Amino acid sequence: MEKYILEMKGITKTFPGVVALDDVSLKVKSGTVHALVGENGAGKSTLMKILTGVYEATSGEIYLDGRKLDLYGVKDAQEKGISIIFQEFNLINTLTVAENIFLGRYNDSQYINWKQIRTKAHELLERLGFNFDVDRIVGTLSTAEKQLVEIAKALSYNAKIIVMDEPTSSLTKKEIEMLFPIIENLRSNNIAVIYISHKLEEVFQICDVVSILRDGKIVGESDINNITRNEIIEKMVGRSLDIEYPKRNSVLGETVLEVKNLSRNTKIKDISFALRRGEVLGIAGLVGAGRTELAETIFGVHPADGGEIFIKGEKTAIRSTREAKEHSIGFVTEDRRGTGIVIDMNIPKNITITKLNAVKNRWLLDKRKEEAVASEYVDKLDIRTPSVNQILNNLSGGNQQKVVLSKWLFSDADILILDEPTRGIDVGAKYEIYCLINTLVEQGKAIIMISSELPEVLGMSDRILVMHNGTIKGELTGEDMTAENVMQIAVD
Amino acid sequence: MKSMSIRKIKNLIRSNFILIVIFLIIIITGIIESNYLSFNNLLNVLRQVSVIGIVACGMTYCLIGGAYDLSVGSIVSLTGVITILTINAGVSEFIAILYGLLAGLGIGITNGILISSINGRSGEAFIITYGMQVVAASIALFPSNGLFIAGRVPEGFFKFLGQGVMPIVIFLSIAIILQFILSNTQYGRQMCFIGSNMDVARLSGVRVKLNRVTYFAISGLLSAIAGIVLCSRVTSSNPTAGTGFEMDAIAAVVVGGTSMSGGSGNVIRTVVGAVAIGIMSNALNILGITAYHQQILKGLLIIAAVAMDILNKTIKNREMEHEKAYTG
Repeated sequence: MEKYILEMKGITKTFPGVVALDDVSLKVKSGTVHALVGENGAGKSTLMKILTGVYEATSGEIYLDGRKLDLYGVKDAQEKGISIIFQEFNLINTLTVAENIFLGRYNDSQYINWKQIRTKAHELLERLGFNFDVDRIVGTLSTAEKQLVEIAKALSYNAKIIVMDEPTSSLTKKEIEMLFPIIENLRSNNIAVIYISHKLEEVFQICDVVSILRDGKIVGESDINNITRNEIIEKMVGRSLDIEYPKRNSVLGETVLEVKNLSRNTKIKDISFALRRGEVLGIAGLVGAGRTELAETIFGVHPADGGEIFIKGEKTAIRSTREAKEHSIGFVTEDRRGTGIVIDMNIPKNITITKLNAVKNRWLLDKRKEEAVASEYVDKLDIRTPSVNQILNNLSGGNQQKVVLSKWLFSDADILILDEPTRGIDVGAKYEIYCLINTLVEQGKAIIMISSELPEVLGMSDRILVMHNGTIKGELTGEDMTAENVMQIAVD
Repeated sequence: MKSMSIRKIKNLIRSNFILIVIFLIIIITGIIESNYLSFNNLLNVLRQVSVIGIVACGMTYCLIGGAYDLSVGSIVSLTGVITILTINAGVSEFIAILYGLLAGLGIGITNGILISSINGRSGEAFIITYGMQVVAASIALFPSNGLFIAGRVPEGFFKFLGQGVMPIVIFLSIAIILQFILSNTQYGRQMCFIGSNMDVARLSGVRVKLNRVTYFAISGLLSAIAGIVLCSRVTSSNPTAGTGFEMDAIAAVVVGGTSMSGGSGNVIRTVVGAVAIGIMSNALNILGITAYHQQILKGLLIIAAVAMDILNKTIKNREMEHEKAYTG
């Protein structure tokens, strides 16, 4: 009989009118890394919110180390040994590392013993294999370092279980390589890690066991060695995906965008390339290589201070986003919620904002026209929504992304810059976005696709530019487009 | 389905809580004092709130666009001084009005340019317009050394503006026009985007800076109109006449239900907010409650309005989370 540190038995959670989790059972052993995968909305976060005391289960029980557990909120769960590290860190940027780790637990007596706190913080970080200045202000740390602080904080609560929600989503390749030894370290310290991720490569690399959730139910659980990547995907989406990247028949047309020696202070230097109709131009590179900065320069968010941009053969100075839009460029940003959509406005408003002129009767906005436009795109892009007038917050990430695409299609953009177009959306929706990209280039649009997911860039691009330190360090076409080649160029 | 409608009613009560409270005060006062609900008294209240109401209409635009304008009170004072002085100098009253309007517009545009050129958020707007408030308030004091200026106002257009129902007509017309623009034009839609999320607006190709300048320009211009109407009513100018108007205006906007966090709002509701506050003060007067005690109640009312705004938002978010759990 094997012993489990955590057993969740028959967990059901209903919200008014819907069952979010249906009789879910999850068993996790100490010293293992347990992957929890599933599409968005499958119930992963609900399950983890129950485990960390945010939600109360409608029915079902949680056992920690064989004892039944009642949880009253995150803090309570933390004290009982269950910590969660969210994608957005729970750290206070203006405080130091040590202050953050022991936040809210400074004093056993009346006075705060800072020296002791700093020593303890230092010890925790050392346990993780890092020699770290605990007086550094958290706001000055890199994302990976902040994550480290979060892990140290979890350890300081003597965590038996640490839940990591998409821990690598904002890390660079190098930082991910730093994170994995830390997770190994936790494993050897007999801590159970529940690892939530969309990135199956990582799951295979670091996890021991995988549980797959779909529609609020566990649809599979397996040792990582006894399951293949395709089997996991099949279980996640409930259908088989033969090809992850759909094929397209695009014909390259005339050059629509040409950039010559484009520069902007130190962010991007001497960039030259051309983009043709019907083409998907991938831009790869590490985080910080200047990919987003290049996109922002072309789109006029931060205009260039050197070089030339030609659009459809005509020399153009793009000094603002409005001018970029008028030159039929569209920009799907990487931060959907922050810069792509207004989350509490409805679908029509979010789409028509790029071309309000087209939904006017002379002077006034015509709401019926707006709805008609929205309906058109809801149909065309298969945006899944209960109604056309739905608020964006009620849509899944994939459907929100389709709204962002719609707004640029509505603006008649011919040149689309897509920055991390599938970030944070589930496998099924990703596939749809890929199909959509294919349809668009087949219609003669030109697409620049920036992505940190190598397989995606490799699978979708006709040609790949690899950026490094603000410059284009290499260009790959045809047979040369391999992961190895890209990484060779992208790293120092 | 039944629980849905109960929830809707609850939401309705919650989002109109302040107005309901005020309505209750009105009814109670009406029962105690029958004169209170007379047409004349209500007309009187409406006339009293018109000046503040006009200022509050401009403030609504600023708040929807995601910023405060604290300079409005000083603009009211300053335009009054300018207009009365010009009339007293024997210049045509139309020219005098024009000077007043230009002064308000000028200050508003300056505010707007300063704030939008540094991409200021509501915090920067708060401080910059506060600075402008201090500057404009001081300038208003120079000509008369801070003293009240009696106007030698001839019968005519200027005098007509402040008489009878004219202030009410001006107030309500402005509110209706502003609300119409807000909900039916490109300009209004872009305002909501800028107030909700300036980055989304910019990245959608909206001329954010230019648009933002106009919110402060409109606020300045309307404050000038308010200042002129006020002077016309009392045919004189007091260089401190507008002191504190900014807060009264914000109070009217917030009590009316426009959110402090920007992106949505309604000018007609600001009218309701302004009238509600006016009616309440009036009721308290009639009930014989002293001015000092009234201030306490007014303060509490504003705090309650903001608290309800936050509460509503929290509940709305929670409901969204729940809905998301099953559409997600």
